[in-house]
Amino acid sequence: MTNLIRAELQKLFTTRLWWAMALVMFAFTAFGLAFLIAQAGAAPANGQPGLPALDDPAWLPLALSFASGANIFTMILGIVLMTSEYRYQTITGTFLTTPRRGRVIAAKLGAGVIIGVFFAVISLLFTGVIAITAVLIGGGSVDLTGGRIPQLTLGVFATLVLYALFGIGLGALVRNQVAALIGGIVWAYVIESILGAFPALQTVGKWLPGGAAQALMNIDFDTGLGQSNLLPAWGGALVLVAYALLFAVVANLTTTRRDIT
Amino acid sequence: MTAIEIRNLSKSFGAVRAVDDVSFTVEAGTVTGYLGPNGAGKTTTLRSLLGLVTPDTGEALVNGQRYASLSHPLGEVGAVLEATSFHPGRTARDHLRILTTAAGLPATRPDEALEQVGLADAARKRVGGFSLGMRQRLALAGALLGQPKIFILDEPANGLDPAGIQWLRGFLRHLARDTGAAVLVSSHVLAEVEQTVDNVVIIAKGRMIRQGTLAELTGNGGGAVRVRTKDDFAPALRAAGAQVEEVEPGLLRVKGMDAEEIGRLALDQRVLLTEVIHERSDLQSVFLELTGEGAAP
Repeated sequence: MTNLIRAELQKLFTTRLWWAMALVMFAFTAFGLAFLIAQAGAAPANGQPGLPALDDPAWLPLALSFASGANIFTMILGIVLMTSEYRYQTITGTFLTTPRRGRVIAAKLGAGVIIGVFFAVISLLFTGVIAITAVLIGGGSVDLTGGRIPQLTLGVFATLVLYALFGIGLGALVRNQVAALIGGIVWAYVIESILGAFPALQTVGKWLPGGAAQALMNIDFDTGLGQSNLLPAWGGALVLVAYALLFAVVANLTTTRRDIT
Repeated sequence: MTAIEIRNLSKSFGAVRAVDDVSFTVEAGTVTGYLGPNGAGKTTTLRSLLGLVTPDTGEALVNGQRYASLSHPLGEVGAVLEATSFHPGRTARDHLRILTTAAGLPATRPDEALEQVGLADAARKRVGGFSLGMRQRLALAGALLGQPKIFILDEPANGLDPAGIQWLRGFLRHLARDTGAAVLVSSHVLAEVEQTVDNVVIIAKGRMIRQGTLAELTGNGGGAVRVRTKDDFAPALRAAGAQVEEVEPGLLRVKGMDAEEIGRLALDQRVLLTEVIHERSDLQSVFLELTGEGAAP
């Protein structure tokens, strides 16, 4: 199984997609952080809540939580890890090398964990360097053990790993790459953000992958729409694992059994 | 043990019966040509053999086992399916490295295999820029990675230039003769494999039409003899019991007598023959006749 996981990682790192994803992720995070830095300390206005100032101890955890925004990218990598096999028909060689198809899916999930960890490290480093620099320039002090930062860091790792697995499961189920990508992104950005944003809808939203990820991060930040209604962090993690396994098992029983012609 | 055994294999896709009760075997050290027009069911047979397609009935075994139960498939069977199964953004060497890693083979194998198929110079180039012929060679390199003793090749000559086809023929011969491998190679162009194969299996519309050795198939040509003479020889031949057809003035097509009998008769009759040739229907016409792709000339 170690060999199979290594082969899956080679598949990802021998094409250009992973660093393209990393670059987009950096740009995406930088954009969010720029906004957060510019608006730091803004007073509540027009019913919008204010943001903590740079020297407020609450600002750093909020900024670091942006590192979990990379989940969309590990989800994309997960989807591609699975669907590009069908798109370029490399699935033929993969299944010839490993005819027990369930092992291929398992190896991909194993690789997904490593990919998630890898992206969590670079995302946290990138976010951390910018955020800490901003805090120091803004005259604040940095305490990486307080403000629930350790829990938050763990949350970033869990979210990115679980979204990679979620993507792999989704890709195994929906073999068409474009359909899986569009489905995954629309789900994450449109449906989830509607269901997750309003506490009234969170009774449903908390059971979806995005809500589960939010629970994992457990940033109790008042968006002015009322108190969040989320699962406990461990519950969020379980929901995400359940989605990934559900997709992988369903895929293993259906799509991956099909004839490769 | 029989290297490749296909027993009463049938497979339908929807209403289309792609393979219908096909059975044949391939022994070690021989090359078997699996011939048929496009859409005859060759690819489906080979993919069933490789566990990619699940047959409806019958069995397809390699070394007596189903492909999916082999513990080291790349070490037992090398397969070339279609030349499109590559990620265009990956280099040739990386493509092979991934298979090598997954199969747990020595890390030196990709370079050795690329060397063997003459692709060493292109090892670090992206496959997206490869010609069809180069992709075929890369696919073959993939089949060689595990140094197997069974090769299953689907239309490997597709996209190769004449020099490439020549090279492939020599290579397949080498695999069978020198390494004792069993080679099953499909083709819809008989000329590509004619000089390479020991045995042939001919399939059309999913059904097996003929199988035998190359000699058996070519020996089925009808046994006519072409005789060229300026003398009036036909009456004497007819008198001797032969059927004679005048193809053109001075050229007779004789059935029912062999060349020696004709020569002896000519000697008796003091007839001068300028040419006596056994008309051998070559495999191509057998193939075309059998598959209904055209009448024999």
